Amino acid sequence: MTGTDAAGDGGVANGRKLIRFATAVLHDDASELAAARMDIADTMGGAALTDTAAVAALFNAIDRVADSTGIPLEDVKAAATVDFRAAIGINDFAAASEKGGAS
Amino acid sequence: MTEIDYQDLPWPVREDITAAQRRAWNRLGRAGTWLTGAERIAIAGEARNAMNCELCQARKQALSTQFVKGSHDHLGQLSTLEVEQIHRICTDPGRLSRSWYLDLRDSGMAEERYVETVGVIATTVTVDTFTKGLGLGPWPLPTPRPGQPSRQRPIAAKRELAWVATLTPADAVGTPDADLYAGRPTAAHIYQAMSLVPAEVKGFFDLVTNQYLPPAAMMDFDNEYRAINHAQIELVAGRVSALNQCVY
Repeated sequence: MTGTDAAGDGGVANGRKLIRFATAVLHDDASELAAARMDIADTMGGAALTDTAAVAALFNAIDRVADSTGIPLEDVKAAATVDFRAAIGINDFAAASEKGGAS
Repeated sequence: MTEIDYQDLPWPVREDITAAQRRAWNRLGRAGTWLTGAERIAIAGEARNAMNCELCQARKQALSTQFVKGSHDHLGQLSTLEVEQIHRICTDPGRLSRSWYLDLRDSGMAEERYVETVGVIATTVTVDTFTKGLGLGPWPLPTPRPGQPSRQRPIAAKRELAWVATLTPADAVGTPDADLYAGRPTAAHIYQAMSLVPAEVKGFFDLVTNQYLPPAAMMDFDNEYRAINHAQIELVAGRVSALNQCVY
């Protein structure tokens, strides 16, 4: 798997295709999802498509586990990501101040 | 019962994914720790139904969920509290709050059932999102099996880490639930999130291992284990989590 797309790919090979699929699978535009699916299958291969779907599906669930139980980010991860979490807007998410601690 | 099978797809699905999803579906229909098989299937069905709830759609568009009053469109099999829990987790997880959770608990929601319900939702969402991604309809839910929940709460679970009670690796040592951590002194918070119901952790992380990566592979950047590499995996995961506004 070689070649990095232009800006918008996260600096990852075929990143634009992967982002397109991850976005489409969380929304309701069936034709866009179908196009995103074929974009990956045609250029990265069928196995890449099914592994991408597997990861996207798993994280769509993991997010719900994290957000519904109120677990905080681990201290070491928080410290290591403090700069870019602010830069990319994660700290502005609605639940940013809600996690962790006994209730 | 229809068995999960991807052999007719034009793209190869790893057999370990299919096997893990079959195990998850089998587990879904059986009595759990706090819920019967019928209750678990009702929750899975409501999780699917939530995506078409008009109240949830209106709330999702509102600046604050508090601005929109009304009743959920539901299947009539679960309590009002359970419907509220399921619909909010399914349709607007990024805006769940401690006060919302405490309201549910103060209104009578048992936290053990709450956590097991989270596990059922997570299993359903994982399999349903996968089939959606591949252009398939959702698999039929399994037929509920008879049996009673075991009702075993980890004796050392406590409210400290999260909104819900959890069992830490240190506190698990010497208890009947020590196997949850297999002797490891620490565990990621996401692994501890549902530890009030250890069976849900074990079941869900069977899916994690096979659809994402086994623990030993997560930080092994010298080797690749999937048809997409570590960076690509994390890009997909990060994009999904950003769209869900997941802080974790």
